[in-house]
Amino acid sequence: MATVHIPTLFAQAALEVSGKKIDTITGQTVIAKLGLDSVAVMELVAHFEEKLHIRMPDEDLAKVQTVADLGNLVKRLMPPGSEVTW
Amino acid sequence: MSQWNAPNLIAAIDESKGLTDKGYTFLDRDQKELFFSWDDLRAEAMKRAAHLRKYGLKKGDRVAMVLPDGEDFVPTFLGAIWAGLVPVPLYPPLSLGKLDSYKDTLVAILNKAEPTYLITLSKMQQVLWAGLTHVKSLKGVITAEELKGPAPEGVSQDPAQVSDDDLAFLQFTSGSTSTPKGVSVTHGNLRANAHAIMVDGLKTDSAVDHGVSWLPLYHDMGLIGFVIAPMFHKVQVTFIPTMAFVRQATLWLETIHRVRGTITFAPNFAYALATKRTKAEQLAKWDLSCVKAFGCGAEPINSGTMRTFVETMSKAKLKPEALLPCYGMAEATLAISFIALDETLSTDVVDTEAYQKQRAAEPVHVSKLAEGKAQEFVNCGKTFPGHEVGIFDDQGNRLGERKIGEIQVRGPSVAKGYFRDPDATERTFGGGWLKTGDLGYLANGNVYIVGRKKDIIIINGRNYDPQRIEWLVDDVAGVRKGSSVAFSKPGASSEELIVVLEARTASETELEALKESVKQRIVEQMQLTPADVVVCPVGSLPKTSSGKLQRSKTRQQYLDGTVGKEGNRSLGSNAEKVVLARHVAMSLLGRSRHRARRIAEHALEVKSVTDALGKLKLAGDYVSNRIGKLF
Repeated sequence: MATVHIPTLFAQAALEVSGKKIDTITGQTVIAKLGLDSVAVMELVAHFEEKLHIRMPDEDLAKVQTVADLGNLVKRLMPPGSEVTW
Repeated sequence: MSQWNAPNLIAAIDESKGLTDKGYTFLDRDQKELFFSWDDLRAEAMKRAAHLRKYGLKKGDRVAMVLPDGEDFVPTFLGAIWAGLVPVPLYPPLSLGKLDSYKDTLVAILNKAEPTYLITLSKMQQVLWAGLTHVKSLKGVITAEELKGPAPEGVSQDPAQVSDDDLAFLQFTSGSTSTPKGVSVTHGNLRANAHAIMVDGLKTDSAVDHGVSWLPLYHDMGLIGFVIAPMFHKVQVTFIPTMAFVRQATLWLETIHRVRGTITFAPNFAYALATKRTKAEQLAKWDLSCVKAFGCGAEPINSGTMRTFVETMSKAKLKPEALLPCYGMAEATLAISFIALDETLSTDVVDTEAYQKQRAAEPVHVSKLAEGKAQEFVNCGKTFPGHEVGIFDDQGNRLGERKIGEIQVRGPSVAKGYFRDPDATERTFGGGWLKTGDLGYLANGNVYIVGRKKDIIIINGRNYDPQRIEWLVDDVAGVRKGSSVAFSKPGASSEELIVVLEARTASETELEALKESVKQRIVEQMQLTPADVVVCPVGSLPKTSSGKLQRSKTRQQYLDGTVGKEGNRSLGSNAEKVVLARHVAMSLLGRSRHRARRIAEHALEVKSVTDALGKLKLAGDYVSNRIGKLF
């Protein structure tokens, strides 16, 4: 059974994609306000997809605003029984 | 000479009949291929035209299209063209939290274009609905899924009759949200520019050439360069979903290697991204010697980025002459100039003093660059036969060789104007020349771009292009790349240079040190001392919907004393949730309203009480169903 902590994964992804160390990520963090450009954000999404073996549909991503929203989306896409926290 | 001479796009689609060996291949996110031969594309266009005609759509009617995937977009676009309709391609919602500004832009564009229908995916409908009730001209939504179904009976599949002056489609440019401008591209423009690109520029051969593109199809370079021009000249194309490229940039070069692509185009940033993401084992595996044109345009070309790309990819056998800087814009349909196929990236090194004070490009030795006494500009090549580029000063006098002024263009590719916007059309297209708004010069017939006219900074009688200052600032350690803005403000004796940038700094000392290095860098390279350097928190400067920093807005915020404050103002998750909740609510409301309108229309036809009750029950079911699902 997989356990995923979204803020940790998010910070790892941001570091890999943009070289930025962001250490204050919580569920309330608004992704658009992190100063990542639109390309970096999509690369970050790719990072999540690769790590978790999921596919996030574009139309669902359009509605994601906060890290918690992302968490909810991930939770919905992960196999049942997986533990997703933020 | 190309063997293909169709008088218009509809005839070009018709020439596809019986050609089954080549066509367009669409990759999906898992790299599965979907192939449409030329013949299939013609059949799809006919079928989709019939579907659209069934809705009562006729020649000249606009249809908006929000279709993110090529396999839906391309056949639908061709079908609309076949029926003589005017497609209005629009970009799909951008991901992660930009929905509100997206909706505003979408509504503004739709109200300008006044489409009768919007074509989108059924799964996109809910996201889009929130804005659509604000668009009076819209009769409804047609789903791409519906267009895929068998052609309706008894509806004509004949090609529309069009003349050169007829509108082919509307190309909306990324202007401001409040006043979007749609370029009216005619059928004559498309034929002329397709010929310029595919015959004069790329000398394509349909037996050999193979395009590879990840460019968005709602953008001129993706749509005209890889859908329309190749259809005219029957060059096969492999399409990569834009989002797949963004998620994994090396997919672009991987695909070129795999399908033996010969032609591809991208803006500067993509070359930087692809270089950054490529790994040594990929370079060892790839053979990019097949490529004859790595076109680069659509945004300022940074010679450093391009040199790094050529150098890196030489390990994958890239031929340096494959690099093809070019110049173009939607108002000129697409392409204005290309360098020749056998030429490689070249730059012009000119004297800074003469450039800034006399507005002249005087060549000097390259060594002056290191001393900070010269500027370097990329050669964007010559314009195409039948077209002309001229350089003009502000009084409208035509300037000579190596004099810097506004670049203007005339010829058969120059569009008719902006759709239903006579004032903007007169300003930009009036007097027989298209005023590009770009500053540049001509040398030996080659076009060199130095910057955007409206952004130019004039200090002590010298001209500076903000982009060049921003590139310098980007190079300073600690500055977030692509997050600096240069502009001027009135000072005591002349304008003064202000630089605003985003960075993370831990302490006051670090902040001061960073400001000092930025000043130092500009002084060294430009002999210009910024009056002020402002360091703002990451993500706090105003950006456009496509993520580019907004110079004029940043300048205004600076003058108002509010620059960098926006990001600090913590909205908190509740405010964000309110925005989203409003969306969902608006979407529901929009749907119910539309449904109510449709029912009202139906109600007029009601023949009996049972019929009326049945229809009302249907409406009730619909509303409770939707609300039940969403909450």
